[in-house]
Amino acid sequence: TAEEAYNFFTLNFELEPQDGTEKKSKKREKQKKTTEKDSDEEGGGVVEDEAAPLVRDEEEALFVIEQSSRDFLEVKKAEYVGYRKRIQQESELLFTPSFRTVPTTIKLPENMKPRYLEDEGLYVGERPPISLTNENILENRILKMEEVILTHMPHKIMVLPDPIKESSTRPPLFHMEEDLDPALHTVYRKSKYANLYIAGAADPEGDYQLDVDVSGLIFSHHPLFSREHVLGARLAQLYDQYLTRQHNNLTGHLTDKVNFIHGGESLTQAMQRRISEYSLEVRNTRQLRDSEQEKDRTLLKHIVKVWKELKALRDFQKFTNTPYKLSLRRENVDRTSDERDYEDEILAEVVELEAEIEEDYQKKFAEYKKQLQEWKLCRRKQKTKKKKRKKKKKGQAQDETEEEDEDQDPPEKPDFDSIEQRVREKASRIRRKPGESILIPELSASGNITASELCPRPETARREDVTRRSLFVKILYNDKEVSRTDSRSLNTDFRVHFGQIFNLKIINCPQSINLQVFEEIGSSCYLLAQVFVPVPEPSVVADRVSLEEFEFSSNQRVMFDHEGVGSDVPLSFEADGSNKQTLLTSGKLSCRVYWGSGEDDVALAPPVSQQHGGIHSGLSRLDAVTFIGASGLYDMKKIGEWATQSRLDPNDPKNASIMQLLKVATSGEVTAPEYFRLEQLQEEFNFVTDEELERSKRFRLLALRYQEVAEFRNYKCVPSLEREVTDKVFQEYEKRLKEGEIVDTKEHLDSHRALVAKYLQKIRESVINRFLLAKHHYILSDLVVEEEIPSIGILGLNLFKLAEPKRPLKPQRKARKKVTAQNLSDGDIKLLINIIRAFDIPIRRPQSNKPGQSSQSAIQGSDWLLSQVQVRPFVEVSFQRTVLQTTTADGPNPCWNEELQLPFSAPNGDYSAAVLQSVKDEVFINIFDEVVYETGDQDRAKSIHTRVEKHWLGSVKIPFSTIYSQSRIDGTFKVHTPAVLLGYSKERSYGTNGAYDTLRSLSEGAFITLFITIEPQLVPGESVREKFDSQEEERLLQASERFEREAAQVYPNRPCITTVIDLNGKTVFITRYIRPLNPPQELLDASPDNPQETTALVARFVALIPSLPDRVSFSGVCDLWSTCDQFLTLLAGDEEEHAVLLCNYFLSMGKKAWLIIGTAIPEGPTAYVLTLEQSRYLIWNPSSAQYYGQYDTFCPLQTIGCLVNADNVWFNIQEYTSPMTVSFDTTKANLWKPFFSRSFSHPGLSSVQVTSGQASEHCVIIEKILKEKIMEWRPRHPTRWNRYCTTTLKQFLPKLELSGGQDMAEGHRHELQSLLGDNNISGFPLHMPFSEIRPIIEAVYSTGVHNVQASNVEFALAVYVHPYPNNVLSVWVYLASLVRT
Amino acid sequence: MAELHIIGQIIGAGGFPQNSLFCKWGVHTGGAWRLLSGLKEGQTQVDIPQTGDMAYWSHPIDLHYATKGLQGWPKLHFQVWHQDSFGRCQLYGYGYCHVPSSPGHHRISCVTWRPLGSWQEQLAQMFVGGGPQLRSPDLIYSGADRYRLHTEAMGTVELELGIIMRHFDKYGVES
Repeated sequence: TAEEAYNFFTLNFELEPQDGTEKKSKKREKQKKTTEKDSDEEGGGVVEDEAAPLVRDEEEALFVIEQSSRDFLEVKKAEYVGYRKRIQQESELLFTPSFRTVPTTIKLPENMKPRYLEDEGLYVGERPPISLTNENILENRILKMEEVILTHMPHKIMVLPDPIKESSTRPPLFHMEEDLDPALHTVYRKSKYANLYIAGAADPEGDYQLDVDVSGLIFSHHPLFSREHVLGARLAQLYDQYLTRQHNNLTGHLTDKVNFIHGGESLTQAMQRRISEYSLEVRNTRQLRDSEQEKDRTLLKHIVKVWKELKALRDFQKFTNTPYKLSLRRENVDRTSDERDYEDEILAEVVELEAEIEEDYQKKFAEYKKQLQEWKLCRRKQKTKKKKRKKKKKGQAQDETEEEDEDQDPPEKPDFDSIEQRVREKASRIRRKPGESILIPELSASGNITASELCPRPETARREDVTRRSLFVKILYNDKEVSRTDSRSLNTDFRVHFGQIFNLKIINCPQSINLQVFEEIGSSCYLLAQVFVPVPEPSVVADRVSLEEFEFSSNQRVMFDHEGVGSDVPLSFEADGSNKQTLLTSGKLSCRVYWGSGEDDVALAPPVSQQHGGIHSGLSRLDAVTFIGASGLYDMKKIGEWATQSRLDPNDPKNASIMQLLKVATSGEVTAPEYFRLEQLQEEFNFVTDEELERSKRFRLLALRYQEVAEFRNYKCVPSLEREVTDKVFQEYEKRLKEGEIVDTKEHLDSHRALVAKYLQKIRESVINRFLLAKHHYILSDLVVEEEIPSIGILGLNLFKLAEPKRPLKPQRKARKKVTAQNLSDGDIKLLINIIRAFDIPIRRPQSNKPGQSSQSAIQGSDWLLSQVQVRPFVEVSFQRTVLQTTTADGPNPCWNEELQLPFSAPNGDYSAAVLQSVKDEVFINIFDEVVYETGDQDRAKSIHTRVEKHWLGSVKIPFSTIYSQSRIDGTFKVHTPAVLLGYSKERSYGTNGAYDTLRSLSEGAFITLFITIEPQLVPGESVREKFDSQEEERLLQASERFEREAAQVYPNRPCITTVIDLNGKTVFITRYIRPLNPPQELLDASPDNPQETTALVARFVALIPSLPDRVSFSGVCDLWSTCDQFLTLLAGDEEEHAVLLCNYFLSMGKKAWLIIGTAIPEGPTAYVLTLEQSRYLIWNPSSAQYYGQYDTFCPLQTIGCLVNADNVWFNIQEYTSPMTVSFDTTKANLWKPFFSRSFSHPGLSSVQVTSGQASEHCVIIEKILKEKIMEWRPRHPTRWNRYCTTTLKQFLPKLELSGGQDMAEGHRHELQSLLGDNNISGFPLHMPFSEIRPIIEAVYSTGVHNVQASNVEFALAVYVHPYPNNVLSVWVYLASLVRT
Repeated sequence: MAELHIIGQIIGAGGFPQNSLFCKWGVHTGGAWRLLSGLKEGQTQVDIPQTGDMAYWSHPIDLHYATKGLQGWPKLHFQVWHQDSFGRCQLYGYGYCHVPSSPGHHRISCVTWRPLGSWQEQLAQMFVGGGPQLRSPDLIYSGADRYRLHTEAMGTVELELGIIMRHFDKYGVES
C-alpha cells in the first residue's frame, strides 16, 4: 500500500544516517542472520521486520559483544579410530590384490594355449622396465574384475613401448654449437647505421671487404723528362702500338679473310644466291684490310722517324739519357715469288672490281633493256594504230623517227683500264714494294746511360732533381683518405713500383674509389694527379680481375732552369723552333680493385640493391631435404655399416625406409637420386595443369600489365571473365616479339638501316626499363611535401602587388589550370592554333606560254601587279589526318588572325604523360594559294563554272611533342618553301613599307606568325632525376652541380648545362663532347677552293641526318647525348647531337666554333652552333643547315644560356639573352661566367660508305611506294602518270642536289615550259633527310597534290636519293600535276 | 585456376622493448602460386610514436595470386627492426603467419621472437646494441628443427587483411 511504501522510504532514509559506521551495520547484519535464522520465515512485512531487529541489535551490540562467542562454541576432543579397527573397516570395503604371480592357467580362458608373438615373427617392441610386483598386482586386479577376458594377452600384460625419449628434448646450452643445423646458426651483428635498404629478408649488414692493389705507375711525361726522354717515351709508345698491332695481326687476319671469302664464293652452287652478300663482304673486308695496311705502314714510318730524331739528339747533346735502342731487322724475301704474289693480289683485286662493275653494269643494262622492251611494245601498239590511220592519211613517218630519238641512251660501258691503274696506285701507297725486305723493328732497353760525371751541368742538375723526388699514392674511399702507400723515389726511367695491396673493410656503400698520386720533394708534397677507379661488380674477386692501367694527367705548369723540359711548356725539336708541342704531365697508374673473398670463396661484396622479384631459393631447398629426410643419403656405405652395427630391427616400422634403402643399395640397382623434388606431391593435388594456367589470357594480361610491358602499361580495365579477353589484345605484343628477330627490310630500304633501327629499339627498351625502375625509387621530397614558409620579402612584394594600379588596357595572360593526364579521355584535348599573319608569300607569275616572255613580264611587273591578283593564300592545318583551313586572304602579306581547333587523340586512348611525350605526330601548317579557274563554255555567258584549285606554297611542321613539352609556342617561323615553285616567284613587292622593308631584306623566304597551345593545359612529364654513376671526378661533379644551381638561382630562365648523360647512362662533362673531327673527305673535296661552300655543305650533311627527339625515342624526359660516332651509326639524334657534330666539324675546318645552349622556337631548349667568321658571328641551326647573322630578326634562337667549347663552359650573365643583344666576347668575365674544366679525348669515327648502286635502288623503291600511295589516296579518280615529265624531272633533281637547293627556278621553268608547252604545271620538289619511308609519305600527303580534281590531270613524280658518307641519304621528291589546257 | 586477393595493411607493432620500429615483410608461397600483380615484399617506414607502446605503420599490402593448388598457401613473414636514437638499426624480432584461408576481413596478430645469444652476446647487446640474427632468414617460415634455438619472445605485429577468393569452389574447396 501507499502508506507502507511511504514508511519504507522514510524509515530507510532516517535510519541510515543513524547507523554510525557502515562496518558496524554489516557486522550487525551478520549477527542478525546467525541468531535469527528461525525468524526468517515471518516473511510478510519486510519493512518492520528488518527495522525492528536492527534497532534491538543496536542496543544489544553496544553492551554484550564479548559474551556471545562463548555461548556458541563448544570444545571437543580429536576423534580417533584405532588402527586395527580401521583395517577391519577398510577390508570390508577395499580389495587388495596380491603380489604373487598369477598362474597362466587362470589368465587364459579354457582350452587356449598361450601365444608367443616374438616366436610368430611379429615385431614386439622393447618393454619398458616394470617391477615384477607391480605387474603381478596389476594382473591380479584385472583378474578380479571378472568382465575382462585376457584373450589377446598371451602370458604377460601387453605393454606399449617406452614413450619417454632417451635424450632430453632440450639439450643443454653447451651442446648447441657443435651439431647445430646450419640453418639455425645465428650471427651476432652489431647495431649499425644501415643506410642501404635491401629488399626482402636479406640482412642489411655484413663484413664487406674491398681490396685495392696498387701496383705501380709509369710516367708518359714528367716535367723532369729531358728532351731525350720525351722522344724515348714517344718511341716506346709507338713500339707498344706496333707490338699490339703485330699481336692482333689484323692485316694478316683480314687478308686471310679476303682470301677465304674469295675462295668460298666459288665453293658450292648452293651459295650462289648469297653471292651478292659475299661480294659485299669482300668489298668491306678489303677496304678494312687496306686501311689497316696503310696504318701499319705509317706506324713503321713513324717509328723510324722518331728513332732517327732520337739518334740525332743524342749526337747533338753528346750524352745518353735513355736506354732505348731500336734495331731494324731486315727479313729478306725471295724477290721473284714476292713479285708474283704482289701481282697476283693486284690481279685478283682488279678482277673482283671488274666483276663488281660488270655486275653493276649488267644490272643497269637489264633495266635498260626492260625499259626498251616496254617502250617497243608500246610503240608497236601505236604503230598498229597508226597503220590503220595510215591507210587514211599518209606521210606521217617523220613522227616515228622523232619519237625513237627521244628514248634514253643505253648505259655506258665501264672503263676497265683505269681500274687496274687505280689499284696499282693504291697498292704502291699502302703496301710494301715487291722484293723490298720486310723491316721488323726491335726496341731494346739495353743501351748505356752516360754516367752523370760525363754530362754537362744542366743535365746533372736535372738528374739530381730526379733523385730528390719521391712519389706515393693516397687511397680515398668515398672521399675519405683510408690509406697511403709508402713513398718510393723516382727512378731515372720514371717508373715507380709500389706493389701494395690494401684491404678495406667497408661499412658504407662504395660511391667512389679515388687514387691520388702525390709527389714529394724534400718535406713538401703536392698532388700530381687523381685517378678514379670504378667500383667493381659484386662478383669481381681477385682471380677474376687483372691489373688495369688508368691514365692520368695533370695540367700544372712546371718550368725548370735545367735540362728538364717541364710541363705545359711549349717545346720544339726542330732547329728553328717551329712545330712546337706542349706536353702535360701524364702517365699510367696500374692498379686493380676487387672484392675480398670470404671463407668459402664468396665475394665479400654487398648484394646488389633492388633485386626485383628475388626468390627465396633457400627455403625450397631446405624443405626438400627435410622431407626426404636423407641428409646422410650421400654415403650409402656408412648407412649400411651403421645399420648392421646398431642391429636395427628390420621389422620396426620406423626403420622401414632405411631397410628399404639398404636393400636397394646393396643390390646395387639404385644409387642416391641426384635431384630434389621441390614440390612433393604437388602433381596429385593440382587443380589444373601448368599448361592450362599458362593459357589463361586473363592472367597473362594481368601479369603483363603489372610488369609494365609497353603495350599494357596503362591498360585500365581487365575483364573479370576469361572469355571476355580477346586474342586481339595480344596480337600487337606478339607481333613485336616476333619482329625482334626478323629484320624488316621493307620499311627501312636496306639491311644496315634495319639493323640500326633494331639497335636503336634495343637501346630504347633498356633505357625505358631503366627509367621505369628509377621511377620506383623515391626520395624524401617525393613523398613529403613541405611548403616553404614565405619570407618577409615575398610577403611584402605580394602586399605591394595589391596596391598596384589596375591596367585594363594591358591584359595579361592568366595562368590556366593544369590538368593531370589521368582524367582525360578522347576528345577532351584540343590543339589551338592561332594563325596570325604571314610575310613574303611567293606571288603568282603571269602565265606565259613562251619562255621568252618572262623577261618582258618582269618589266611590266608593276603594271601587272595592279591589275592582277598576286596571290590568294590560305592556311591549312593538318594534324592526325584532321584538316582545317582558314579563310582566304589577299596578297603576299596576309593577315588571318584566326583560331583553329584540332582534336587530339592519343594512341590507345592513353593519356599518361609518358605516352603523350612519345606521340610522333606532327602538325603540318601548309600555305596554299587558292586559284579559281573558269571553265565551261566561254561562249555562252549564262553559266560559268569555276574550278577552285589549291596550290601548295610552303609549310611549317611542328612536332606535337614540342608543343606538349613547351605547353605553348608563340613566334614567327620561317616557312619551308620548296626550292622550285612552278608558276610562282619569290619577288618582293616593290612597295616601300618604310622600316619594315629593311628588316625583312636581311632574310630570305616567307614567314608565318603562329600561336599554338593545347587546351586544356597538360602537365608535362617530370624529368627523371636518378643519380647516374659517373667516371668524372667527384670534385668536378660537385662543382658543376654548384655552377648549375647558382645559374638557376640568379637566371632561372636560362638553360645551363654542364653535365649530360651519355647513351650508357653515365654522367659526362659536356666539354668532352667537343673535339675537332674531320668531316668526311668527300665533303671537303667537293669544292676545295671555296671554303664558304664547303661550310654550307658540311652543315647540310649534318642537317641531313634525321632528327629524332629523345623524349620521343625514350618516352621519358631525359636528354641523352650520344657521341658523334654513335650518332652517325644510329643516324638519328636530337638537336644537340646535330649541334655537337656540326661544331666538331667546324672546329676541324679551322673555324672558331662554340656550342650554344639556349632556347629556340619551336624546339624549346636546344643547342645551336656559333661560329666567328671575319669578325662576324654566325648562328647555325644544326638541324636545318640554316645560318643567321647575329642581328637577324627572324633567328629562331631566343635565349642564349651558355656557350661551350672544348675547354670551357661559359654561362651568360648579361642582362639580356636574345642573340641580338648579347656580346659573344667570352673573355669578359662580367658578361660570361666561365666554368673551368679539363678536356679529354674523343673516340674516332668509323664510316660506312654508301655506294651509288644502293642509292639508285632506293629511288626505285621510294618512287614505287609513293606512286602506289598517291593512287590509293585518289580512290575515285584515275591517276595517270606522265612519263615524259617524270624523266625530265628526274634529270633535274641531281642538279638541285648539287646546288644545295638554291634557287634555280628560272632556268628550270623555261626548260619545263619549252618541253611541255601546252600544259599547266604546278609542282615543287620536296627535300628531306632519309630515315624511314613513313615521314616521306606523310610529307607528300600533307602537300595535298593528290587532291586535284580536274579530270584531265596527270601527275609526275620523280625521286632522287643522293648518298652522303656514313650512309646519310638526302631524298628529293619532285611532285607535279599537269593539267592540259 | 583459382585466384586469391590479399588486400590489407600492416597496422603496426606493439609490445617490444622499444617503440621506434620498422618492419621488413614478405610473402612466401609455394610453387603452385603465381603472383599476378602487387609487391610481395617491402619495408615500412620507421615509426617513432610519441605516446604509447604501439608503433603504427599502416603499410598497405595488395596482392593478387593465381594458383593451381592449395599447397604452399601464402604466408607473411616479418622482421621487426628497431632504430635507436643514434640512427642505428638492430633486429627486434622474427615472425610469420599464414594468410587466412577464409574470405572476408581478418585481424591478425603475429607474435615475434628473436634468437638469444650466448651470455657474452647478451651482455654486449645490453650495452652496445646489436644482437644475434639468423644466418638464413628463410628459417622464419620453414620448419627446420627449431627446438635447438634459444629464443626470446618479443612483441606482436598487428595485421588487417581482407581476403577475396575466386573459383576455389570450382575445385572443391569450400570457402
